[in-house]
Amino acid sequence: MSASWNYVFKFIITGDAAVGKSSILIRLTDQRFLANPDPTLGVEFGSKLIEIPEEGKVIKLQCWDTAGTESFRSITRSYYRGAAGCLLVYDVTSRRSFTNARTWLADVREHADPHLSCILVGNKTDLCDEPAPAGRPREVPTEEAELWAKEEGLLFVEASAKSGQNVELAFEQAARDILDKIRRGVFDDDRSPGVKLSKPVPNSLSLEHKRSTTCCS
Amino acid sequence: MEFFSQTYVALRGPTGAPQTAADTIGRLSDRLSPATLLADRRAAVLALKGLARDCKQDVGDRALPGLIEVLENDAEVDADIGKAALETLNILCETDDSASGHGARDLGFKHTDAVLATEKATHVLFTLLGDNSFYIRFATLQYLSTLLQNRRQIVQAYFLKSQAGPRSVIAVLEDKREIIRNEGISMVQALISQSPDIQKVLAFEGAFEKLFATITQEHGVEGGVVVLEALTCVESLLRFNSSNHSYFRETQLPPLLCTLLQFPPAMPFNEIAPQEFALQFWDDNKTANAAAVVRIIGMLLSTKANPAQEVPAFTRCLLEIALASNMPTPIKTQALRLLPTNLNYPLLELTVTPYMPVPETNGEEWDRLEAASALDALVELALHGEYNGLDAAKRSKDGLELRTAAVCVFENFSRKEENKQAIIATMLPAEGQNPKEYPPPRPLVHALIAPPNELDMALVTSTQLAALLFSHLLRASSSRVKSFAISLTPPPFHIAPTPTAGAFFVPADGVAPPAPPAAPEIDDDDPPQTLLQILSENLTLVSLARKRTDNSEREAREWDRLFVAYLSLFSQWLWDDAIAVREFLNAGGLSVLVEAINQTNEADSIIPGLCAFLLGICYEYNRQPGEITRSTIYPIISRLGVETLTGRMTRVREDERFKAVVPDSIVLPYPTPSHHPGLKPEADGEGEIWFDWAFVDFWKSNYFTVQRGLGTDADQLAASSGNAESAMLVASLREVIQKQAQEIEALTSKLGAASTAKSGEVVALEQKLSSLTTQLQESEDKRKEQDKEQEDLLVLLDELSNKRSRDKQRMKEAGLDVSEDEADDDEEDE
Ligand SMILES: Nc1nc2c(ncn2[C@@H]2O[C@H](COP(=O)(O)OP(=O)(O)O)[C@@H](O)[C@H]2O)c(=O)[nH]1
Ligand SMILES: [Mg+2]
Repeated sequence: MSASWNYVFKFIITGDAAVGKSSILIRLTDQRFLANPDPTLGVEFGSKLIEIPEEGKVIKLQCWDTAGTESFRSITRSYYRGAAGCLLVYDVTSRRSFTNARTWLADVREHADPHLSCILVGNKTDLCDEPAPAGRPREVPTEEAELWAKEEGLLFVEASAKSGQNVELAFEQAARDILDKIRRGVFDDDRSPGVKLSKPVPNSLSLEHKRSTTCCS
Repeated sequence: MEFFSQTYVALRGPTGAPQTAADTIGRLSDRLSPATLLADRRAAVLALKGLARDCKQDVGDRALPGLIEVLENDAEVDADIGKAALETLNILCETDDSASGHGARDLGFKHTDAVLATEKATHVLFTLLGDNSFYIRFATLQYLSTLLQNRRQIVQAYFLKSQAGPRSVIAVLEDKREIIRNEGISMVQALISQSPDIQKVLAFEGAFEKLFATITQEHGVEGGVVVLEALTCVESLLRFNSSNHSYFRETQLPPLLCTLLQFPPAMPFNEIAPQEFALQFWDDNKTANAAAVVRIIGMLLSTKANPAQEVPAFTRCLLEIALASNMPTPIKTQALRLLPTNLNYPLLELTVTPYMPVPETNGEEWDRLEAASALDALVELALHGEYNGLDAAKRSKDGLELRTAAVCVFENFSRKEENKQAIIATMLPAEGQNPKEYPPPRPLVHALIAPPNELDMALVTSTQLAALLFSHLLRASSSRVKSFAISLTPPPFHIAPTPTAGAFFVPADGVAPPAPPAAPEIDDDDPPQTLLQILSENLTLVSLARKRTDNSEREAREWDRLFVAYLSLFSQWLWDDAIAVREFLNAGGLSVLVEAINQTNEADSIIPGLCAFLLGICYEYNRQPGEITRSTIYPIISRLGVETLTGRMTRVREDERFKAVVPDSIVLPYPTPSHHPGLKPEADGEGEIWFDWAFVDFWKSNYFTVQRGLGTDADQLAASSGNAESAMLVASLREVIQKQAQEIEALTSKLGAASTAKSGEVVALEQKLSSLTTQLQESEDKRKEQDKEQEDLLVLLDELSNKRSRDKQRMKEAGLDVSEDEADDDEEDE
């Protein structure tokens, strides 16, 4: 087994419950969508290799869904600290989830590495393309979210875990941003805990051979 | 005197009352307040620590809040006071053996609850854990361990809300100071217990990596107890935690598990496993560590979704451990049990080289045996036990566990029809072979037909295990396997060079064993016996041998064991197999059964019951014309009495040897049941086998059918519907169908070959066809489009001419000059 990537980036996905965090993760790693994800299934970690061709780099994304910690945010803070990238997710059909994104961002700002790359993701765009009753009206206009993201210095994209639209792009944009920071030397010598250079695989433990075995054959 | 009394008064305090311990403790507790000087606070804590064990209640009542405050305010500034406060708190909360004395335990819980009443103390502790001072860190770890031991869930909930928690814990895990790190690993074990959220956040923070770093640093499985604790932590981080599973698989760590056992994770399939892996020195400590590694490997193998890419390496590693290494027997057993039940590994193709200890070298020198397929080695292990049957005669429980685990793997492997047929193919004579030239006896058949002339413990066990293996091939088999079994004609039995070992393995570099004596001349008048006939004969021999009066109790029990093995095999073989029933009856099986059912000896309940069961099967599935028909058996059943037969069968279920069998454990202590006057184990840990779970299950699901069948008239086939005639019809039709199925199969494969040849053409034609269709569709579309366009134009034209005439009309009305017959002009501009 040899490492076929240049970097490992740790990502976390935060936001209100039910905005589609688990769904985004499953879409990224398995190219699937579950209409009724089983919350006990524990799809809370996934990883994926992505390529950034113009940089000639392959990146392994390790993503943690912070599910279950929505109730006690403090533990999520521990995840912030160790991450290089963050997807801050809201639901475009839920004003409330967008308003709460401010609180989540405040948390990120307080606890994460200052160089963490954060992308605001408006999820479930597919719902506003559908007529009722299947669909739901949009409650957060694209322009408003985009403006807020700009003010806060966040990347921004609208996506749909259901159709898959822009899901990979969201991760890619954040990864590009991190790569860019690395190139500019923002993280000198591995300072971000969420970024790791791939190192040679330690596939042989050097175990001491205290005694050797004789064998007559 | 005056002087003394004055001093005394001073000591007693101003009130004159003698100063009690409670007063002292109260005064000391007051001094913990931040208002006092640090030095005074320190002295007070030290004094309280001295009193804490003897006055646990008073110190707890008065000092707890003050001590926690000291922790919060002073510990980081002054390690001495911090350490003393932590130790005092620990004494107050202890509930284990060190908290001796009446009520001390209850007090420990009471104080723990007081400390954990709010999250504050726990948060202070996890913050302090980040402190790098040796004494503070160490004392904090100890105190956290005590709190976790007393009230784990509360501490866990507070930990999840604490800011500093995860990071402090990781810092402890990578602490260079061994004592701290080891204490930390113990604390973490309790902290992560049954809390997926904590497991997950610690994995995120790098706990796996830190733990494996420790394991490596401490010399892997050669290391001490800290390695075991670290491995146990890894195990608990993974168990029931799918998120951590996925993450762990992502890391570079899984191959290390193989490496820890010296097994090269990237070994090519056709290479032989290296000797550094196969032959190692083992002690208790290393055994415990290796067992933990094997457990983790087994756990990673068991996940169905997204299996790790190491699955082949892990599977092979476990197989090699069991079949071709000198690892301790319990680890081998564990390795076999952890192989997935839907084992999908080419056992016939994998080559392994088992080893044998060189006698008198105390396990320091080993012979390498000839390479064999993993399947052969597995069967050999089941039949004869480890190391070529070295200790098979001892029949230790450990050894039997290993052998039955091998049987289970065989069962799982042969559950797939194609594997079953591949195994059976190895038992058949090669095509075109002169039937007089026997193929070399396969160890499985060889052990199965071993004649029961002399009582040999090792031989009894291998026949018994051979019967278990063979029954796995027969149970729920296709008619193909069954018809093979019925026609199987094994070569005559030769005694192997050594009585216990299979003739199968020889040291790779040793001298070949003396060639077996040439097959005796076959008497042409006497056709060779089929396997079923041989086994029926052996059944008869054993039924005679077990009644010999000069048997010791132990010997009698061995004959019974063999008898039971044959009976269980026959029950499963004859079930729903009319041809096998006929063969069995023709071979004289009936009289053996009847005699055993009639047996007056009440001591043994199992054998008459099994015989009644088998008799019932012979009656129920007697559907082939033959000498002994249902009408022959019916009067025998009537004479024995259906009630009696059912009663005999019921007693089997009540027998301890039957009841004690559970899916994963069929080895019982010798003797079972234990209160047996004339029997005692020959050595500590002697075990015995009577039934396997598959048979117990078979019995339970078919018992009722057999019972009902016994109560049915001879001319009726009640238990399974239809009458004798139609049953015969069915049987003959079945044969026809079988033949036809084979023909169809042959034709299908011919057809397959033919159609592959044609398929190229067909594909080309299909492509052409589809492109033509597309073209056609396109031109059709185009034509339609043109039609429509034309129509549109006509409509437009029509509209235009209407308009034009209207305009002309209007122009006329306006008095303009209008030509009557113009083809084209530009007046239509409005
Ligand atoms: N229509 C639609 N539904 C979505 C989308 N993403 C998630 N959902 C649904 O929203 C619900 C909550 O999703 P989940 O991934 O569990 O959200 P989480 O609590 O943030 O992890 C589920 O019923 C999903 O099927 C999306 O892009 N479009
Ligand atoms: Mg979720």
